[in-house]
Amino acid sequence: MASPTPEAREITLNGLWNNNPALVQLLGLCPLLGVSNSVVNALGLGLATILVLAGSNLVVSLIRHQVNDAIRLPVFVMVIAALTTCVELLMQAFTYELYQILGIFIPLIVTNCSILGRADAFASKHPPGAAVLDGLMMGAGFALVLVVLGALRESIGQGTLFANMHLLFGPVAKSWSVVLVQDYKQFLFAILPPGAFFFMGLLIAVKNIVDNRISEAKKATQDKPSTGSKRVRVTGTVS
Amino acid sequence: MALIRQTSPHTRGAETTSRVMQLVMLAALPGLLVTTAMFGWGTFINLIWISLIAVGSEALVARLRKRPVAFYLRDYSALVTAVLLALALPPLAPWWLTLIGTAFAIIVAKHLYGGLGQNPFNPAMVGYVLLLISFPADMVNWLPAAGTPGYETLSFGQSLQAIFPFLGGNLDYDAITMATALDVVRENSSLTWSELQATNAALGGTFAGKGWEWVNIAYLAGGLFLLYRKVFTWHAPVGMLGALIVMSLVFKNGSGSDTHGTVLFHLLSGATMLGAFFIVTDPVSGATSNRGRLIFGAGVGILVYVIRAWGGYPDAVAFAVLLMNMAAPTIDYYTQPRTYGHKKPRKGLAKPEDR
Amino acid sequence: MEPRPETETNTSAKGLMLRAASASSLTLGLFAALTVGLITLTWVFTKARIDDQIRQAEIRALEEILPRADIDGSALYDNDLLKTRISIPVNKQLGSRTTAEGYAAFKGDTPVAVILPVVAPKGYSGAIHMLVGIKADGTLSGVRVTNHKETPGLGDAIEIIKSNWITVFSGKSLDNPQQKGWGVRKDGGEFDQFTGATITPRAVVLAVHNSLQYFEQNRDQLFQQGLKQLKQTRGDAHGQPDA
Repeated sequence: MASPTPEAREITLNGLWNNNPALVQLLGLCPLLGVSNSVVNALGLGLATILVLAGSNLVVSLIRHQVNDAIRLPVFVMVIAALTTCVELLMQAFTYELYQILGIFIPLIVTNCSILGRADAFASKHPPGAAVLDGLMMGAGFALVLVVLGALRESIGQGTLFANMHLLFGPVAKSWSVVLVQDYKQFLFAILPPGAFFFMGLLIAVKNIVDNRISEAKKATQDKPSTGSKRVRVTGTVS
Repeated sequence: MALIRQTSPHTRGAETTSRVMQLVMLAALPGLLVTTAMFGWGTFINLIWISLIAVGSEALVARLRKRPVAFYLRDYSALVTAVLLALALPPLAPWWLTLIGTAFAIIVAKHLYGGLGQNPFNPAMVGYVLLLISFPADMVNWLPAAGTPGYETLSFGQSLQAIFPFLGGNLDYDAITMATALDVVRENSSLTWSELQATNAALGGTFAGKGWEWVNIAYLAGGLFLLYRKVFTWHAPVGMLGALIVMSLVFKNGSGSDTHGTVLFHLLSGATMLGAFFIVTDPVSGATSNRGRLIFGAGVGILVYVIRAWGGYPDAVAFAVLLMNMAAPTIDYYTQPRTYGHKKPRKGLAKPEDR
Repeated sequence: MEPRPETETNTSAKGLMLRAASASSLTLGLFAALTVGLITLTWVFTKARIDDQIRQAEIRALEEILPRADIDGSALYDNDLLKTRISIPVNKQLGSRTTAEGYAAFKGDTPVAVILPVVAPKGYSGAIHMLVGIKADGTLSGVRVTNHKETPGLGDAIEIIKSNWITVFSGKSLDNPQQKGWGVRKDGGEFDQFTGATITPRAVVLAVHNSLQYFEQNRDQLFQQGLKQLKQTRGDAHGQPDA
């Protein structure tokens, strides 16, 4: 149970890149694919998810010594469901139109496996500070993928970016909309569900390429000093 | 080289991939000729343009994947995809539409999955469906068949200008396009079959839709030639056409006011014959065993009818083929042929050692 | 297995287990109470605002169909549409299969307009649900599609966010255009079809025309029902006219 608490840097890197819930763990794909057809939808759901994730991680971490193993999961589920319901009510009260567009995907945050996953795998074993950071970073990693996917699908599908942002940020944001191509002929494939799968696949592929490049570069720099050194390491790593 | 890895058995069949592909293209020729005769030069021009894109995309991907370009081009599979797409698309599909569809078919549907032999979906149909759901308004620009009263067949120049609008000319699409026979039947909700035939020029053919019937008969002829040359077995086409016949017999409602069309109409409309002999027979994305092919074809036939009669699009061969492509591995799993000399296990009986 | 006589250790283990179980269920119950409390608290604080948001959204939707401001800027009607609902029985002309709700607009006691729920049963892929606003003189104030399953990119141009085609109905009536004109261009009518889609606009045009005919025949009855409703709500508000 008592594994050492990782450093903030490690938690951040894990959430945003190395162990990104959407690109690596492939969790929460249903909402990810369902509402990523525009930046505003993606951002709305992303923020809601961050809120629930950070909140549930905090609560779970605070109560981790009071709850025994037998009832751990039901308690976590109750916490997550309650937080989701609260976020849903708040969205209904303050961003009603966006709430109507996101519809079923807001209550479905409960079923986003990455939330229960983080609660059980991280928050229940680490102090509140680290748990909140983990929730924020995992949520941000998820939201980041959502927004990139939303931007890709919106720009390719409709030729716009940041359209309808006033649904989230109020009337100020009405002017944020950028028309990339005038009189763009809609490329419906990007907006419809199949496009979500396609672009998600592309994002995962891009991440794998970047990771491969990084590990190759690392190998290259690690191999260099070994030339000319007296000891030849045959197997394993010396730590 | 990794590609021409020689594994046993070392005896090769007489038909290499390139030979088969050449035969397929030859067999599609009558269909192309009849389509050109019925709907003008559009399909012909498209075929050349699409072939250029297909070969270009194939070469591009081969280079990117650091594979020998000439080897890839020599199997003609890119050209076959081009031919199928050109024949399936509306004659006046604009150049950018075909560019997107063809490039997507070759680059994404074929090579991202690992190239010929690895693609789970028929590339031409993926390209077609991509265009159909993305640009439906451009994908329904079908022309009336030659000889339809009130319409003239487009000249070569007019077709060229329609496909490449920057060459000048401005065609009024609403004046030259017409609903296909399948559109008419799909949209019908109040007329009986004979009333439909009497009121609609598109349905004024001898057996089915005007023009379309001959196009389909030409594909049927080409398909029979391929069957005779043993390029594929009869199972998949018979499965598909058989299922289509059964479905259209059961749900025909011929005398009623909500008719879905006669059996002959469904057999000789849209992409039925092109699908039955040139698409469901695809050895890569279809089922493997003979029994599997029969089931695969029947699935396509049923889906074609269901989508035609009740779906959101008038024709359905592409959707049906993709859906069944997805089911092909499962079909293969349940239709594995017995190894020679082995019996089917008796199910439901306890093995002797369990007692 | 032989039943063993109960020993001391056995009962105490059982007791321990029971105690653990009851402790667990107590914790569980505590958390259930806490979470419910949290939700209740949020609900209490947001309830008024949510109700207001829902109301405003509904009013916005209705005012798109029946603008509150007249052409000259004066108020076209002064009642609360949401409180002046009229129930409309199943009717073939409206394409409805269940009793549906419409709205009536009044200025003082003078009937101004109604908003009718209309269904076009034969779209390309099933029924198209609409709201149709008709002024007392029989002209259309606006039409909006509320629900449909038409093909994306073809028939879905009936949605206001996809194209403004649906706004052509404003100002039309049974005499404008004449009977013959109430169809899509392909059928010799006055309304544009979409490229590649005739069925959808045809169904919508027909349904709107039918609803105009229904209004023509049932005008008095609709407004009577609305007026009754209006007076009732005024009675509730102690005779104060609803602003």
